[in-house]
Amino acid sequence: MAAIGEATSRVATREALGRARQRASLVPDLLVDARRVVNTVIAGWHGRRKRGIGENFWQFRPYVEGEALSRIDWRRSARDDHTYVRDREWEAAHTVWLWADPSPSMLYKSAAATVSKDSRALVLILALAELLSRSGERIAWPGLTDPISTRNGAERLASLLLQTPVPAARPELSQIKRYSDMIIASDFLDPVEDTLAWLAPLAERGVRAHLIEIADPAEENFPYSGRTEFRDPESGLRLTAGRAETLADDYRRVYAARRHELSSWARKRGWSFTVNHTDRLASEALVRIHGAMFNQAAFAGGGRA
Amino acid sequence: MTWLPLSFGAPMVLAGLVVLPVIWWLLRMTPPKPQMEIFPPLRILASVLKREETPHQSPWWLTLLRLVMATLIILALADPVLNPRERMAAGGGATAILMDNGWASASDWQVRVATAERLIADAEASGVPVILAFSAEEANEPAGPFDAAAARDRLNAAAPRPVPVDRVAAAERIASALEGLPAPGLALLTDGLAADEDEAVWQIFADSGIGRLIWAQPDQPTMLGLTGGDNLADVFAVTAIRPQSDTAPRDVTVGAYDDRGRRLADAAISFATGEMEARGEIRVPFELRNDFSSLSIDGEMHAAATRVLDESRRRRRVALISQAEGDQAQPLLSPLHYINRALEPYADIVSASSPDLAEAIPELIEQGPAVIVMADVGTLPSAARRAVIDWVEGGGTLVRFAGSRLAAAENDPDLLPVRLRLGERALGGTLSWTEPQAVSEFPPSGPFADLSPPSEVTVTRQVLAEPSADIVDRTWANLADGTPLVTGDRRGDGTLVLFHVTPEATWSNLPISGSFVEMLRRIVQISRNQAVVDASGEERRASLPPYRMISANGTLVPPSPDARPLEISGSTQSVTLRNPPGLYGTDDGVIAHNLLGPDSQLAAIDVPQTELPVTRIAYAFDEQQDLRGPLLAAAVALMILDSLIVLWMGGLLRRRPRLAGRSAGVAVFVLAVGSVLAPGTGLAQFDDARPGDDEAIAAISETRIAYVITGDSSIDSISRAGIAGLSRFLTDKTALEPGQPSGVDIETDELSFYPLIYWPVDEATQMPSDEALSRIDAYMQQGGTVLFDTRDQYGAGLFDGAASPGTMRLREILSGMNVPPLEPVPDDHVLTKTFYILHEFPGRYAGGPLWVEAMGDGEADPERPVRQGDGVTPIMITANDFAGAWAEDANRRPMLPTVPSDPMQREFAMRAGVNIMMYMLTGNYKSDQVHVPAILERLGQ
Repeated sequence: MAAIGEATSRVATREALGRARQRASLVPDLLVDARRVVNTVIAGWHGRRKRGIGENFWQFRPYVEGEALSRIDWRRSARDDHTYVRDREWEAAHTVWLWADPSPSMLYKSAAATVSKDSRALVLILALAELLSRSGERIAWPGLTDPISTRNGAERLASLLLQTPVPAARPELSQIKRYSDMIIASDFLDPVEDTLAWLAPLAERGVRAHLIEIADPAEENFPYSGRTEFRDPESGLRLTAGRAETLADDYRRVYAARRHELSSWARKRGWSFTVNHTDRLASEALVRIHGAMFNQAAFAGGGRA
Repeated sequence: MTWLPLSFGAPMVLAGLVVLPVIWWLLRMTPPKPQMEIFPPLRILASVLKREETPHQSPWWLTLLRLVMATLIILALADPVLNPRERMAAGGGATAILMDNGWASASDWQVRVATAERLIADAEASGVPVILAFSAEEANEPAGPFDAAAARDRLNAAAPRPVPVDRVAAAERIASALEGLPAPGLALLTDGLAADEDEAVWQIFADSGIGRLIWAQPDQPTMLGLTGGDNLADVFAVTAIRPQSDTAPRDVTVGAYDDRGRRLADAAISFATGEMEARGEIRVPFELRNDFSSLSIDGEMHAAATRVLDESRRRRRVALISQAEGDQAQPLLSPLHYINRALEPYADIVSASSPDLAEAIPELIEQGPAVIVMADVGTLPSAARRAVIDWVEGGGTLVRFAGSRLAAAENDPDLLPVRLRLGERALGGTLSWTEPQAVSEFPPSGPFADLSPPSEVTVTRQVLAEPSADIVDRTWANLADGTPLVTGDRRGDGTLVLFHVTPEATWSNLPISGSFVEMLRRIVQISRNQAVVDASGEERRASLPPYRMISANGTLVPPSPDARPLEISGSTQSVTLRNPPGLYGTDDGVIAHNLLGPDSQLAAIDVPQTELPVTRIAYAFDEQQDLRGPLLAAAVALMILDSLIVLWMGGLLRRRPRLAGRSAGVAVFVLAVGSVLAPGTGLAQFDDARPGDDEAIAAISETRIAYVITGDSSIDSISRAGIAGLSRFLTDKTALEPGQPSGVDIETDELSFYPLIYWPVDEATQMPSDEALSRIDAYMQQGGTVLFDTRDQYGAGLFDGAASPGTMRLREILSGMNVPPLEPVPDDHVLTKTFYILHEFPGRYAGGPLWVEAMGDGEADPERPVRQGDGVTPIMITANDFAGAWAEDANRRPMLPTVPSDPMQREFAMRAGVNIMMYMLTGNYKSDQVHVPAILERLGQ
């Protein structure tokens, strides 16, 4: 009899990118809620109603000595005797940090699942990257790249991921500034207090996070029976259960308690918590995240996608 | 190991058995291998799985299985041997085997061969040549040295012989073969009985430098031998002996058989404790005892347990006495000439040397004749008369012939069976009105009852018996007028016979008829031998050819090519290979040549006193079996079973509920036990009733005529009505009362119940299948007859060559069958005469011939009304539509008109049917009736 679960190799990022594009095409352009980014200092496509660096016209003002000559709007200046400088509206781009858990525990796929958790996480993250890039947001990967604003953000992210052979187990969160968004796709299988401990700085810094729990159905349902030896792919620990079926109820209760604690903690901070099962479609989670980022009301979720 | 016939080649390996408890402990401790699963949320699971995982114990039966497996392997490694035997390598430069194959070896010869084979195998293993000699073989038999294969060939070619052993000759052969071989080992496979020359045998072996002696003898010789079978006056005494070592009380049964092997009587013989010889008696009538031809001890399968008897079939000695000395000169007038000629082939004739009866009779009686024939002796001298009376009382048969002297002598009731009237009676002749009398049928009570009466014999003169009440009982032959011709009576144990005519052809022509020979021979046959034919006298046949031999296992067989004629010389002949025991002689008389004499002893043989190392072995089959292979095979089988169990436990059924696994285990167990026990449990109620039995019983409880159902309802109804009409006609006119017509489907129905099947051939119906045609073919081959009717006599073409559709169909049908050559019914065929005299066989149509199997080359004999021929034709073909002519409705009115419309044609059609049916049922019986005149003529009417 074959084992229920299997360890998968790390997903090829380029392949994940293709799938992510596909997913992203299903979702309408993401308009990031601008409410939270009014005061963001960095220009974006959301108009800040004041002069600054931007692309859209804001005002003409008289040229002040010392300014660069290239800034003079010669067409306007030609109409009268003054020299005018064309000011643009200060546009603020929203910075969204993306991170997929690269830990070995993600490299798992059970018989009932269609893809491994790692694959699903990357697909989701890259799909979001595509969405956000397309709508002009700045995307970043902690420890991998600073926030970048480009139309092909997903591709660049993917190529950067390719060049980084072993991603860090935990993201470097120190550079994430306030009012950023962070999307974390992970299985959150570490002890809840550990997870909360490394997420706490984000909360303190006012970062709004979206947690996506990638769950394999075998992990949730525990379909094992008989004499079974379980092995942790992360630590290599082994555990032998004489009759695994007797553990199922206890396990499911603990598993659900962990998720509940995590989601309620996230909800308390206004974060979204989304569960995506690897036997379901990735776009379900994508729609949910989209909604969460678009609409505050959806933050009350934490339900399953 | 004395409690088990088991030994080990490497017993040290058995010490490995001490690790079994360790293995048991290990097996108990080690759980089965778990299912490996990768499980990322292990830490969550770990928080759930608080208790320590206890070692999962494998089931006790699995542990037991593995322990058994380990035990088997250890045992197999120890090289076990079941029923081990010692190696009997005799050592030295050669192995010499002296094997007894005399009569005493026959009963367990196979065991002896097996023992010798072991010796040969051991010699082969030692690489020494084998010298093999048998003690009951020809003296020129080579003794070797042989290699093992040749020795085995010789051993398998050897067989026990029904003769005593000759160990000296065999020992000499071995000694000569052993010359030059250093310190050979000698194996003596004895039959357990001592022989006279055993000392000489030991001496020969002592001189030939034997290095070692292997001695084999049966545990306890228990063979019995028959030393005597004597037909005494009132009983038949049987004497049996047994070996001296056999002292326990013993009861055996001896059967007596006639010359055709039928068991006539048996005797119980009881050996008391320590008794070596015992006697049994058979009390049956004398006539039955005379038929004894051999005796055999039940359950003993060797030559000494069978004894042939020549008592009844031995040539008897017949003494001839005549008072007329001068008669010898003219043989044809000699009173003894015809007796002599008649008895010569069957008996030893002795004659008196002296014509003086007072001397001649004691001399002759001394020679122990079975029969004394007196030709016309009147009065005997008183001494001689006394001797004759005693001899007769003791069992002799006295045959007297009448003559002028007897007619003149006084009546002597002791020596005459009946009172005689003085003088003789003349029948016929010139002065007599009477005719010479013929001999009538022999009375059924006499000894001549089964002889055919001599119709050509006439008697002209005779002596007459005084009529008395018991004259009829004493009469052995009568004349046509009822006067006795031969009378006989018992005197003590003997018999008196009187021929009322002379032994020469003066009073009657009886002596020159064949019946005379038969009658004398019969008298001699029923006589009893009075003494053993000792060979001292001049014997007519110095050597007697072998007639029936006693085989090694005690049965009577035809002589083998090796048997030589028995030379009768002065001393008793010993039983040798050239003269094996049995009967010697011819059909007319035999001499028994038996293995054991009346004073034979059976003594057990003893190991000779010798300084050589002697190994005693017992005769036994080589039952040594190497158990390593079976044990290893069992271990492998258990290993496979174990693997299956582990696979099953490991997950094949793991998603099933626990209960299923348990029941599967039970099922496996039941299957295993069942497969062991299955051969013994095959009892089932057996009901031999089969579907169709009722139809079969109905079909055979009456004679029924069958017709083939063609599928065309109009044809079938006509067939049925036709057969029914014929059946009614048969019932009216003949003794045959057929049952209801039976329609048969040739595709399915059983055909063998019906003597005749009428088959209306119709081209419109479906062609029968090949299977049906082969069934019809088999039916015809096995004695059935099919009457094909194409019903198209007038439908055939105008020209000879044109065949009608029905004929075409018939040809098609017959093309697949073995059809004999056919011919139209010839005039002298029995079919024309079986009931009615018929010349043609019309049906609805007239003129068509009835074809039957050709009778071959039987030439029509103008003298004979019927041609001879065996068997019944399997096929008849007509075109005349018989059924159409036979068909009647319920009121017995014809259903179809005849063509041409002639009432007589219908009558003739019926008669043709009757003849056919009679022919079916009686075959060629009617053709045999042509012999009736000759039979009647022979019956004399």
